[in-house]
Amino acid sequence: MTNNCLIVHIPDQQPYDLHHQPTESVFASAINPKHANQIVRRLNQIVPLDDLRHVKRIQKNVLEGGEIQLLVILCVASEGNNQLDSMPPHLQELISSYQLSPFITKVCKYVATSKEEWQEQCKFWPTSYHPRTYNIDGITGFSEEDSQSVLKFMQSAVELAKSNDLVVNAAVIVDPSTKEIISSACDQIYAWNSCKDDSCYGKPESFSSHLNISSTCDPHEPLHSNSSSNWLKQPYTGVACLYIRRWAEHPSHPHSSYFWHPLRHAATVAIESSAARDRNLFPSEGTNEASYQELDSENASWTSSPAKRQKTVCGNDVDDDKLNACTQPSGQPSARPYLCTGYDIYLVWEPCAMCAMALVHQRIRRIFYAFPNPNAGALGSVHRLQGQKSLNHHYAVFRVLLPEEALHKSHV
Amino acid sequence: MTSPETLAFMELAIHQARLALDALEVPVGCVIVEDGKVIATGRNRTTETRNATRHAEMEAIDVLLGQWQKNGLSMAEVAEKFLNCSLYVTCEPCIMCASALSILGIKEVFYGCSNDKFGGCGSILSLHSSNTTPVNNEVSSGKSFKCTGGIMASEAVLLFRTFYEQGNPNAPKPHRSLARQA
Repeated sequence: MTNNCLIVHIPDQQPYDLHHQPTESVFASAINPKHANQIVRRLNQIVPLDDLRHVKRIQKNVLEGGEIQLLVILCVASEGNNQLDSMPPHLQELISSYQLSPFITKVCKYVATSKEEWQEQCKFWPTSYHPRTYNIDGITGFSEEDSQSVLKFMQSAVELAKSNDLVVNAAVIVDPSTKEIISSACDQIYAWNSCKDDSCYGKPESFSSHLNISSTCDPHEPLHSNSSSNWLKQPYTGVACLYIRRWAEHPSHPHSSYFWHPLRHAATVAIESSAARDRNLFPSEGTNEASYQELDSENASWTSSPAKRQKTVCGNDVDDDKLNACTQPSGQPSARPYLCTGYDIYLVWEPCAMCAMALVHQRIRRIFYAFPNPNAGALGSVHRLQGQKSLNHHYAVFRVLLPEEALHKSHV
Repeated sequence: MTSPETLAFMELAIHQARLALDALEVPVGCVIVEDGKVIATGRNRTTETRNATRHAEMEAIDVLLGQWQKNGLSMAEVAEKFLNCSLYVTCEPCIMCASALSILGIKEVFYGCSNDKFGGCGSILSLHSSNTTPVNNEVSSGKSFKCTGGIMASEAVLLFRTFYEQGNPNAPKPHRSLARQA
């Protein structure tokens, strides 16, 4: 049966070993509860704990016999110098006027990223813990229905990845609110439009018609056949995000009739298709119509022309309701998506830095991938873009652990 | 000391950025140079394409790849060509573009202002000196390239300032600057 533990959240930071979180030495002292307010106010003036904002300044203990003990952090104990006389003069005055007796103790150096971390931290000294301020569905777990949906979309990505002779990476961009496939693509390094399903503007149910993974097992399917295990053991040299420089060593075929492009990784192609879909569904909306018209003229750049042609062809298949929606008086401008805001992407392999950053730029909400990319993965393996605070957008990242039968359930 | 040649190429990149500004795009521009000659230019087209990955570098790269393929060059020949190309761009390449440049194996990058939020050539990540990749196989990691920043940085920053003062027309509603309505 499908269950929640098959979808694993990949956190913003490499988690610390719960029981070995980095600590920092501080001077602390017991104080008279009557003086607590004055002392803390004064301490915050003369020695604010700028780098330890998550650490509580005061710790309250109930001693045997019900007596209340208050401990306060005086200041950080500078490395290699545990001498009291290294403290700032104002602090020394405060210590002598309240007759404090400082001692060294340890506090946790970094903000807790989970409740479990926080509970361990408090064994040293209390810290504060604020669960993430932004909430993206799934971080706290998936419902049975959502898990099913995630697995189905992931399997459609896996099927795309296997749809050619060479196994490649595949991407499926989905609007989770409608369960509609916005765009899908395979790596297109060696041949453009090699992927038959490219830019299929799926209807809400389109994915479920040819996918059926759940718990039903085809009795005719040899679950442990050699062919299926081979699929898993291949080196996958065709996967663009895994072997980003392989294109440069590709045997030459100068007279081939198709185009190739070393940067057309599945995720970037899927982004391009979703942008083409946006332009197609909402052709004249926006604040600068002039530049959209320019796009439609013949001097569009070389790269956009194949996408444009594709767009025109697919335009005929586009849902009429969608087209009408944007011209109806009730249609709010907000109906037009801003890039991929709110959308999810399913990738068979963890993306490289180029693709992961492209997904930041295009404002993807959640990324699901099935296999890690130890060579060049940018969502936890080599880099961890979801934890780069400076970026202007942050997505949530999940790894989907596919059930064995989901991997070789491809009979196209 | 920056050579007059470097400044001349950066001047051309700034010109591309101005074209972007005129088209209400984030003003970033670039040129790609081979043997002292400009062989491709590019400017940001993210608003026009509604594709936030259409940065100046990507535009110029696509022009080159299209041209070279039209001339019948093979993949290996194109790879060889990139090893001899330099990029001049008004702003430090972002993580995506820096990664793309290392995938292509460009020889050298000169940039104007640094990119404190997304920079992939030292500001946030250092994809130009990719020694972080596990020792594996040559084809599994990008190529390092030489990178020099701070060339005509004030001109590049001035263009950004002009752009943000007039408001980013592509920003989502809640973030839109009200300057234009004033």
